Order: sequence, then structure tokens, then C-alpha cells
Amino acid sequence: MKPDRIFEKAARSLAKRTSRRSLLASLGQLLTGAALLPLLPIDRTARAQSPSSPVAKPTADEQNCEYWKYCAIDGFLCACCGGTSTSCPPGTQSSPITWIGTCHNPGDGRDYIVSYNDCCGKVSCGDCFCDRNEGEKPMYRLSRNNDVNWCMANTESNYHCSVSVILGVAQK
Amino acid sequence: MLTLAAGTVSSWAAAPAGPQPSPLPAEHLTIATVGPKSPHWVYVVDYAYANEIDSRVYLFDGDTYRRIGQIDTGFIPGVNLSPDGKTTAVATTYFARGGHGTRTDVVEFNDNNTLAKTGEIVIPPKHAQTLAMLFTVAYSSDGKFVYTPYLTPAASFGVLDPARKKVLSEIDTAGCTLVFPWGPNRVSSICESGRLLTVTLDAQGKEASRTSSEPFFNPDQDPVFAQAVPLPDGYAYVSFLGQVHEIDFTQPKLVMRTPWSLVSATEKGTWRPGGVQIGAVHRSLGKLFVPMHRGGDGSHKAGGTEIWVFDLKSHQRTARWPIDTKELGSVIAVQVSQDAAPLLFAATETANVLVLDAQTGKMQHVEKKLGQTPQLLLNP
Repeated sequence: MKPDRIFEKAARSLAKRTSRRSLLASLGQLLTGAALLPLLPIDRTARAQSPSSPVAKPTADEQNCEYWKYCAIDGFLCACCGGTSTSCPPGTQSSPITWIGTCHNPGDGRDYIVSYNDCCGKVSCGDCFCDRNEGEKPMYRLSRNNDVNWCMANTESNYHCSVSVILGVAQK
Repeated sequence: MLTLAAGTVSSWAAAPAGPQPSPLPAEHLTIATVGPKSPHWVYVVDYAYANEIDSRVYLFDGDTYRRIGQIDTGFIPGVNLSPDGKTTAVATTYFARGGHGTRTDVVEFNDNNTLAKTGEIVIPPKHAQTLAMLFTVAYSSDGKFVYTPYLTPAASFGVLDPARKKVLSEIDTAGCTLVFPWGPNRVSSICESGRLLTVTLDAQGKEASRTSSEPFFNPDQDPVFAQAVPLPDGYAYVSFLGQVHEIDFTQPKLVMRTPWSLVSATEKGTWRPGGVQIGAVHRSLGKLFVPMHRGGDGSHKAGGTEIWVFDLKSHQRTARWPIDTKELGSVIAVQVSQDAAPLLFAATETANVLVLDAQTGKMQHVEKKLGQTPQLLLNP
């Protein structure tokens, strides 16, 4: 996990300036020195591992599939399962690898890069199923794919629900 | 319980007045058998979204509208049938404590004559967990190899020996994913570059050689569904905007045919294919069935409000069959039987399975709520 933590900051910074695809390709090259390796996973959830305060009550927006941040989510909204749009429900673990969307916030007119993490280690939440696919791509472009189980690399790899975490403004 | 049961029988026996009918004969508990196989059977894979560790396959009869039985398939499985139709292979995951605990991945084999599990191969705990794909477990054409894709998220696939129940090899696919089998020893995977990587195996199931095709689609401009449609001589990869990329797998090198379109120039971008299992082909009739909907970018998983039928030789649309989506839900998966009086099966977003006459589009039956989230249909 350590290399992922080191690179989290770099990932966030790069994400603000570049597309998801080139971001991952750049990091892949940085880590390995190779240009043609598959896209690499990145841990963006290091800070989510140890919550310092109780989970906030989710807003009505966060429980609504139409909420702008959910433009490429596919799964059960964690905000309906004991978490919020940015926190996993108690007793679950967040996935260290994710897929990415670019969503338009009508509130401020900006496009944001959003990381969709799965929350793992319990059976499916089963509530607030939400399947939106703006910019979603098939499995051959894995970093944009919301069909695979992103808990795959967790010690407890059962899928429970999905969150949507703003990484930064997408620069045009 | 025994005393209570005896008392109940006694009081029932004393109740009726007048002439007594003959008592019912004693019954014998039996196990039902599957019965003679029919081309109108369909294997319906229910991914059971609300409790994904409990997915299953229902064997359903399109003539009698009867559920024949069930195969348990674990957590986000790949499911496929052997070339002779006798076996259902399931690549799946089990957790030691139900929803949690040590993960074990297996490929399980089920006898389609009994629907009983007959064996398994434990595989590395990394089978690709993705929903409703024909290509997350697959047989070679002679049934001697089984392939299952791995994802960690690094991509590779395993080669298994179903007779000796052994893992033979793992083959790195350089980021390309899924297993599109061809012939006795070839496996292709689809790549982000728009190419297909094809690995040829030796008799021991090890890599003998690999080739990469020319790019045949642009994943930025018009991605293809990874859910290819099997053709008699290869696969068709259908794009989000309705381009059909037919690829001939029978030659030493893959042959890309000239792409053709499901939609006219005026329909392009408005009418789109969509759903999960986005096409089915009747091989001898040369007909392609596709669920189509009106939608924009990002609607590629929206189900069809109509099923369109195409002639694979002329590429002409021969029929449009509207679906009562308010009543039945939109169509997210299609499959067609291969006999001379074919049935078209269609699963909807609201878990109904529709049975249509595949030559006329006439609705024969609606099986309401066949499971929870049926999204993949397999033919015997």
C-alpha cells in the first residue's frame, strides 16, 4: 500500500490537469519506466481508511440516482446503506482501486473528475440501485468500466455498495 | 410433531358425513428428472443483484413455460455450456463464511441431464468478476480446454483441463481482456487499442504463439460492446452507435469484414443498440436480433424498446418488433433457439422473460419475474 499512498497526492494533482486515461498511463510509466504496461490501479482512499468523525447524515441528493456526481455509477448508493456519497457504511472496507467519471455539476457549471469506489466485505446492500453510464466504457478500458467488481483486490472482496468522491475540477 | 400429525389425520378422517370416497394412496417422494432435451430450452442466468453471493441459473422450457430446475452459481459468475451441451461450466467465487471470509474461486461442472454438480477445478482467486458476459468462461470447440479470464486488475486467462480437472497454464494478455474461443486451441482477448490479441495453445495448453490484429474500432469515438455476438464463422462486435464489425475467425489470421450499420444515416445517434446481451444470431436462417432504443451517449446499457431483425447477408433490416415496455420492461438480453421453428427469448430490466416466435415476432408467453435480475440467456 505504501507506494499507492505516496502516489495519491500526485494522482490528485495530475487528475486536475489531465484526462483519466493519460493520468494512468503517465503514472504507469512513472512507476515502471515502461510505456506499454496495462493501466495501473491507484489507491485514492488512504485517508478514508481511518475515519476521525462519525459518518455524516447523507443529504437527500446523495440518496438520489439523479445526483450529478453519480453520472457513471453502477451499483447500490452507499448513502442508502449507512454511508454517504463519500463514506463507506460502518464495518465495510473501501476499494483501493476505482473507476473514474467526469461529471458536470449544474450548481457551479464545472466538470469534475469523480472517483467511484466500491465498499467491500459485506453482501450487496440491495437498496438504491443506480446505473448511469456517462462516459462509461467496456471492460477493455478498465479505468472507465463500472461493470467489474472493484472490490476484486480487497482482502474481503464481496461487493456492498458504491460511493462517488470528487478528485478535482477537470481542466478543459 | 409426530403426535400432532397423527391427531390431525384422525380428526380429518372423522369429519365428513355420508359416503366416504376412497382414501388417497400413499405417496412416494422422488427426485424429478430433467427429461429429454429440447432446442426450446433456455438457461437463464440470474445475477441476483440484491444478494450477489446467491446467483443462479434457471433452466426454462420455452414450450411448456415450465421451470425445469436450477444450478447454483455463487458470486458474479461466468457461465457457459460445453460444445456438446451436456455440461454447464460455472467460473465463480465462494467466501468461506457466506458473505465474507477466505475467497475460493472455482470452475464448477454441472451435468445438464441431472442439474447436479459433477466436479470442480479450484483456480487462482482472481477470476474476472463482471456481470453477464458470454466470455468469462468458455470451452474450446472440442471441449478439451476451458478458458477463464483473470483480473487483479492485471489481465490474463487460465487454461483448464476439464477431463483431468487441472489448471494447465496462465497466459498474460498484456491488458487485453475476456476469452473469445475459436477452434480447438485459439483464444482471443479484446484490447483497449481496438485490436484483438489471439493466443494459440499447444497440446499441453501452454502458449505456442500470439498475434495481434489490426485495430478495428476506436474506443474513444465509437466503442464496441465487449459482449460479442457469436456467428457461424466468428464473432460480431457491435458498436455503441450500431456499426457491426464481423470478424472471420476461421482463417489463420482474423479477417475483418467491411463493417455495416444497424441504423440508417437519419437514425444514427438516435436509435442505438443497448442492454447487456445485445444480440443473437440464428445461424441457419442468417438472422440477427438486436434490442434497440432511442437514446444518447451513455445510454448503451438502456434496454431495447424494440427488437430489430436483420438479414446477415443483405444487412437489411427485415422487421421491427415493438415491446410494451410499460408492462414488460425494456429488453436487456436476447437469445434465439437454433431449430427450424425458432423461439426468441428476451429478458427485460424488470426480470420478465419473454418468449416470441422468432420468425414473426408474435409474443407467445411472458414469464413474469423469472428470478431477480436475469441478464444472460444461453441455448442448449
